[in-house]
Amino acid sequence: MQQDRIEALIDDLAAGFLMLDGDAIDIPAAGKLLNAMEELIAEADKREMKPLAGVAGELKSLLEDIVLERIGPAEGTERFTRGISEMQAIVHDAAVAEDVDEAGDRDDVQAVVSRERDVSLPGGETAVEEETESESGEPEFVIQDESLMRDFITESLEYIGEIEINILNLEQNPDDKECINAVFRPFHSIKGVSSFLDLTEVRDIAHELETLLDRARNGEISVDSQIIDIVLEGADTLKVMIGSLNEVLEGDRSRPLYPDLTELREKMAGVDSGEEGGYEKESVKKLGKILIDDGVISEDILEETLQKKTDEKRRIGETLIGEGKATPKHVLSALRKQSKQVMETSTVRVDVKKLDDFVDMIGELVITQTMIKQNLVRLDSADRKLMSDLAQLSSITSELQRTSTSLRMVPIRQTFQRMARLVRDLAKDAGKDVVVAMEGEETEIDRNMVEEIYNPLVHMVRNAVDHGLEKGEERASNGKPERGTVKLSAYHKGGSIVIEISDDGRGLNAEGIFRKAVERGLVSETDDMGEQDIFKLIFMPGFSTAEKVTDVSGRGVGMDVVKQAVEKLRGKVEIRSAKGEGSTFAAFFPLTMAIIDGMMVRVGNEKYIIPATAIRRLIRPTREHYTNVAGKGEMLNVMGELLPLLRLYDIFSVEPLYRDPWDALVVVVDAGGRSKCILVDEVLEKGEVVIKSLGGNFGSLKGISGGAILGDGSVGLILDPEGLFELEETTAV
Amino acid sequence: MDKAGKVLVVDDFSTMRKVIRNLLKQLGYENIVEAEDGVAALEVLRSQKIDFVISDWNMPNMSGLELLKQVRADGSLSKTPFLMVTAESLKDNVVEAVKAGVDNYIVKPFTADVLSEKIGQIEKKCG
Repeated sequence: MQQDRIEALIDDLAAGFLMLDGDAIDIPAAGKLLNAMEELIAEADKREMKPLAGVAGELKSLLEDIVLERIGPAEGTERFTRGISEMQAIVHDAAVAEDVDEAGDRDDVQAVVSRERDVSLPGGETAVEEETESESGEPEFVIQDESLMRDFITESLEYIGEIEINILNLEQNPDDKECINAVFRPFHSIKGVSSFLDLTEVRDIAHELETLLDRARNGEISVDSQIIDIVLEGADTLKVMIGSLNEVLEGDRSRPLYPDLTELREKMAGVDSGEEGGYEKESVKKLGKILIDDGVISEDILEETLQKKTDEKRRIGETLIGEGKATPKHVLSALRKQSKQVMETSTVRVDVKKLDDFVDMIGELVITQTMIKQNLVRLDSADRKLMSDLAQLSSITSELQRTSTSLRMVPIRQTFQRMARLVRDLAKDAGKDVVVAMEGEETEIDRNMVEEIYNPLVHMVRNAVDHGLEKGEERASNGKPERGTVKLSAYHKGGSIVIEISDDGRGLNAEGIFRKAVERGLVSETDDMGEQDIFKLIFMPGFSTAEKVTDVSGRGVGMDVVKQAVEKLRGKVEIRSAKGEGSTFAAFFPLTMAIIDGMMVRVGNEKYIIPATAIRRLIRPTREHYTNVAGKGEMLNVMGELLPLLRLYDIFSVEPLYRDPWDALVVVVDAGGRSKCILVDEVLEKGEVVIKSLGGNFGSLKGISGGAILGDGSVGLILDPEGLFELEETTAV
Repeated sequence: MDKAGKVLVVDDFSTMRKVIRNLLKQLGYENIVEAEDGVAALEVLRSQKIDFVISDWNMPNMSGLELLKQVRADGSLSKTPFLMVTAESLKDNVVEAVKAGVDNYIVKPFTADVLSEKIGQIEKKCG
């Protein structure tokens, strides 16, 4: 009875194979045959018909080779037919003898099939190689399809960027196949397209890197820092190569200039296979460990299973389930714990320009609507229906505005990962062992801000690695772990995104900073300064506490640049530090460059907006606060500090309401490392305004960063405090 | 397949989609739609009539193999001719696709002639 199923399967195979007999292989038919063959193997295994399973296994490989065109159809057909007859004979013998085990040892036949298989050559492959190889010798470099090449360059560079990000994930999860695949895939895609575009060198390098990663994926080699370094170097090399193609495209050169690839190739060749299956074992242990921790299996069982496992190719989970030591549910839950859950969101790629225009138009919509509302109020319209409709409209537009702004928001993750790579490189150069921790990578920031915040962050990160963290020995002697930590965190606070860069290094030395500042003449010895104020001294131009300035960052140059860059973005930097425990630099950035949180002030008939981040305080001075020091100009005493007075109406030539400081209001503004008192007639309100560019005609006007349309439809100018200070300093001699 | 038939090209690399699109155009196919991964492809397949699928193997979110399996498992789509694009280095994986019922496969890089040939073979089997 049981034999019937096997006989039926073999008959099916014989019949099905006739369909393969043609000039080209029928792939779907071959697929069915493969499935039938697998069923046959399973059936044979179940009945312990080893010879049958053996022949069937060989035939399955043969079939695969035919499908992959490694064997010509004629040769394949002949061998397949013989194999089928052999199987029929085995089944027949078994039926006669009624004893499966004695069905005759058919090793001889099996050997015939496999011997022939070994001899067969992978014909198709070599042909492809030769063909493209000869093309590389072409003397002239011709771009056949310019637009395709352009697409290729853009997209490839984008993909290489992804490699850089994903490789950091890989470093942290070296045995996560999905992580390897995420790095593998871009190389693979680049290789694919470059082969179509006849970019032999690019294709070859991408192929070699892909092969390296493929070996990692198959567990032949384990992903260690050596591999990661090679892949990063490979990505950089590809970037250079593709960049050079771009030069050709732009007409800057006649043929691409590729870097010397020998070194990279040597490194790739130098990756030894290491101990066999080391990668697999590691991941296996982890799963086993989770199962032990979950109380599913005991350590003894794990050991036992691992020993058995060495001669099988099954994974530990499968083996445990197979032996009934663990239920699939337990293994599955352990596997889930092992692999990080990846959140998948479906996305649409949109041109940033379109998005910007969209957000901009919604800004206009909000303004127009506000103007209509104001007009209605002025007309004293009593139409209640109209007013309620308008209220409805305004709630829709504000929701629309919120949504449109959020469209442009991207998680800060990518920036952090770039930083993490930087830390890694810097730590290596400095000979320090540093681990990067991240928190709040999902915090969102305006896409347009991402590039802007990059430079100041780089400086802070460099600072943390080069100066914040001590060398391993020093740390050890202070009872700290030798490996230093740089932590990147991001969160929202008010209307700002706060990015913190902390290290667990030596911390700022307040005493040292103060002494240095005195030496530099920045402060006087007798100044009584709080710790916070002393920390802020490192932001002053020309300040340096680093004994040794490395080529990547001299702190003195760095920190005032950081402050300026952050302030340019209307942000600010704060420092927290404890000696011996580390420092935290917290940079506050506005969430978007499209909206500014500011204070609206009035001078005469003009309205100005002062960025909220620059405002220190608001005072109403008395006559006693005012001094006019010869040579130093007008000063105001603000809480014991003499600060220069800046008259906006002088700079912008408007007629003010008040000229005397004690009649007017004074806004104390910090910018570019100095503070000044800006004289205004009145403070109107504080709030968010949408920034409008003043348009090309005005270029960049010093002292003004843009315009804003205010609620009543009038226009206010947004002040750029630092530019304003400079403007005042150059005009008032 | 009728040259007016609608071909779905699935690849995460848009340049590759363009390459295949150009080749298809050389062969006279004008009606071409694209999808960037298996998930997007399924959406397209379920929202419009597709006469032929050309899909990459290695894609994020949903691989070509998974897409093929889903197509074959979906009653209304199961008969859609499916051509898998693969690279030499991944050729061994093709066996998986063959078992899952792929109509044919093609190894990168390929010419318009080879593509035409593969489409022709599929056409012959599908009638």
